[in-house]
Amino acid sequence: MTGKNCVAIASDTRMGAQALTVATNQERVFKMNNKTLLGLSGLISDVYTVKQKLDMQVNMYKLRENRDMKPSVFNNMLSSFLYARRFGPYFIEPIVAGLEGPDNKPFISGQDLLGASVFTDDFVVAGTSESELFGTCESFYKPDLEPEELFETIAQCMLAAVDRDCLAGWGGVVHILTPDEHIVKHLKGRHD
Amino acid sequence: MVEENRADKSFPHVDGGFNFENFKRNVSFMNSDSGIKGTMPKAWKTGTTIVGVVFDGGVALAADTRATGNVIVDKNCEKIHYIAPNIYCCGAGTAADTEMTVSSISILQEPLRDTHDTGQISSQLELLRLNTAKSSRVVTAMTMLKRHLFNYQGHVSAALVLGGVDATGPHLYTVYPHGSTDKLPYVTMGSGSLAAMSVFETSYKDNLTEQEAIDLVAEAIKAGIFNDLGSGSNVDVCIITKDKVDMKRNFITPNDQGPLRASISKPATFGYFPPGTTKVVSTDIETFATVTTDVEMLEA
Amino acid sequence: MDLLQAPPRGLFRESHGASATRMDMASAAGMGHDQMKFELPGVQHPAEFVSQNFSPGTYEDNGKRLKFSKGTTTLAFIFKGGVIVSVDSRASQGSYIGSQTVKKVIEINPYLLGTMAGGAADCLFWERNLGMQCRMFELRNKERISVAAASKLLANTMNYYKGMGLSMGTMITGWDKRGPQLFYVDNDGTRLKADGDKPFFCVGSGGTYAYGVLDSSYSFDLSDEEAIELGKRAIYHATYRDAYSGGVNNVYLVKETGWTHVFSGDTYHHHDKYSAEREAAANP
Repeated sequence: MTGKNCVAIASDTRMGAQALTVATNQERVFKMNNKTLLGLSGLISDVYTVKQKLDMQVNMYKLRENRDMKPSVFNNMLSSFLYARRFGPYFIEPIVAGLEGPDNKPFISGQDLLGASVFTDDFVVAGTSESELFGTCESFYKPDLEPEELFETIAQCMLAAVDRDCLAGWGGVVHILTPDEHIVKHLKGRHD
Repeated sequence: MVEENRADKSFPHVDGGFNFENFKRNVSFMNSDSGIKGTMPKAWKTGTTIVGVVFDGGVALAADTRATGNVIVDKNCEKIHYIAPNIYCCGAGTAADTEMTVSSISILQEPLRDTHDTGQISSQLELLRLNTAKSSRVVTAMTMLKRHLFNYQGHVSAALVLGGVDATGPHLYTVYPHGSTDKLPYVTMGSGSLAAMSVFETSYKDNLTEQEAIDLVAEAIKAGIFNDLGSGSNVDVCIITKDKVDMKRNFITPNDQGPLRASISKPATFGYFPPGTTKVVSTDIETFATVTTDVEMLEA
Repeated sequence: MDLLQAPPRGLFRESHGASATRMDMASAAGMGHDQMKFELPGVQHPAEFVSQNFSPGTYEDNGKRLKFSKGTTTLAFIFKGGVIVSVDSRASQGSYIGSQTVKKVIEINPYLLGTMAGGAADCLFWERNLGMQCRMFELRNKERISVAAASKLLANTMNYYKGMGLSMGTMITGWDKRGPQLFYVDNDGTRLKADGDKPFFCVGSGGTYAYGVLDSSYSFDLSDEEAIELGKRAIYHATYRDAYSGGVNNVYLVKETGWTHVFSGDTYHHHDKYSAEREAAANP
């Protein structure tokens, strides 16, 4: 979700195999650099594999160019990475959120597992609760929220959505990125 | 076996082309009884109504703007892609395939350019232009696209409407996912193609003026938007004439929900969650170091 | 009359042609129609046809099949004070949560309880039907039906429609002349009696987790309070681990005087309580 000079990604913390809840402290949102957050939903082994491969590229870029990769460039890199596996995809649906350029313009995008991007200026959603999240975000999102307000909105959208999805929930986490801070808040949620 | 032993196949620019490292694994996922199949993410489709018509002195292309997965994932996507300064292409089918096969704007060019099999028709055309110093022909783009698609035997599911004006005049083609092509004065593609074609069959005539062509393609897309569930939202139109391209993004917005939403009265507090609403278990804050850009000059 | 081949009572089919078929409880309640049953599809193998087209698969009825509400944890056990019945309240369709406040204990009559797992409609309908049959028994015989007989009526019904795609896993409990009784009945026609060797049953997708708790903590000599607490704890742990169980926990206690609804509370608060307990145990 985008706010005023800030972006946020929220995620639940369940890791499970179908009906069985295996862990309830799963992290799937990562800070790629000081301007870019990445959220990965889907098969957890692929989440780690993709995260590590992307980390390598982001670091190599920084070494070669002596600057951070912009969120939009990161999005395009991820898109090519996923499309290269058009016929043997990683089972993930990524969300990229970041601050772009010197004036820290919010940037968010989502992709499917083949790397088709969607760019919006309000919110993007992914994962098993996708349809529930669309409902809550369409209702509650407001533009230009301050980081504190954005946190409440994105957290409530996420918690309300996962309460209607068997396969998600068991607590949540919100990452907020502002020009000079990266804030991580763990949420209390239903554990059923 | 050389292929198998390449050090890193993570990124296409290492050896070019598609990467099949997960292929066998995914096949075994799909064959397993564990139920994992049902929880796999689904590729987005463009659903789509796309059309094109030749008029007196140019080509008009048009498309709807809906992309679908399990739900509508994008209400205002762009389906008219740039191919060359004088050639554009509408895409229907799997979103990633149409985008990657055709587009040159939103993806990295460099890693992919020297291989024909990750698409990138527009980048190949650009190189061709730089090498030959001549503007691209529509038939060249069409041939590249059909070769690419035929090469993948329909597995790259892109259905395209290709239009442009070159040294030999205006041209309009359709390219099917298996690589077959048509050259016709008016064409439609995608799940809304029947609805759109019914408009063309009713109203098309030879030697349309530019304005008539714009109105006709827009009307055809509207037929798709309203009668086909896979198509929706807005009408994008692109007019290509001999010396000018006019991209009319969101030319018609017949589904603007702004006024409707504004008309629904909600209490001022609706959707406002005052700070402290959400129960927080823990908070971690990382403050970024401020980088000073002052440079201290050393005396020589 | 071969009892197993007889259709269940309470449903009827008019003798003059299939098109006039309908259910009529007034007629069914003993007004002359003795041969009563559901109309079956007019195909060569009705059982196969019905199970192929209408049966709820486990976690796989996305796609073309009809969606059924299912996914549950229910448990019941006998102890010295009677029978405890404890259930969750989630109804799911695929991974979507349809309701968090379903009553999964069906109050058949003041002395009989049935639980609900599997197809919600199947359980609800056939246990209501069972209630009617039990009342008919009472009126005919001037005494209450035994839990054994009541569960047998339901098992007979399940056996009659065996293989047709009914989905039901239920526990029938009550108190009769022979004391506290607990039976398990499912759509295969299985009927099991709880006794000293197996004093409890857990039914539904979260049942395995509930068994884990019961196996480690159950004792016949539990007090009423301890037994209720055990019922709550087993359901909480099942809702925690099983994605398809959750919502409100309802606990019933069956005594000689009939059943009472002793507890109803959101598992959200159970988590606070049990995780605090666990933490306290870890850091004394």
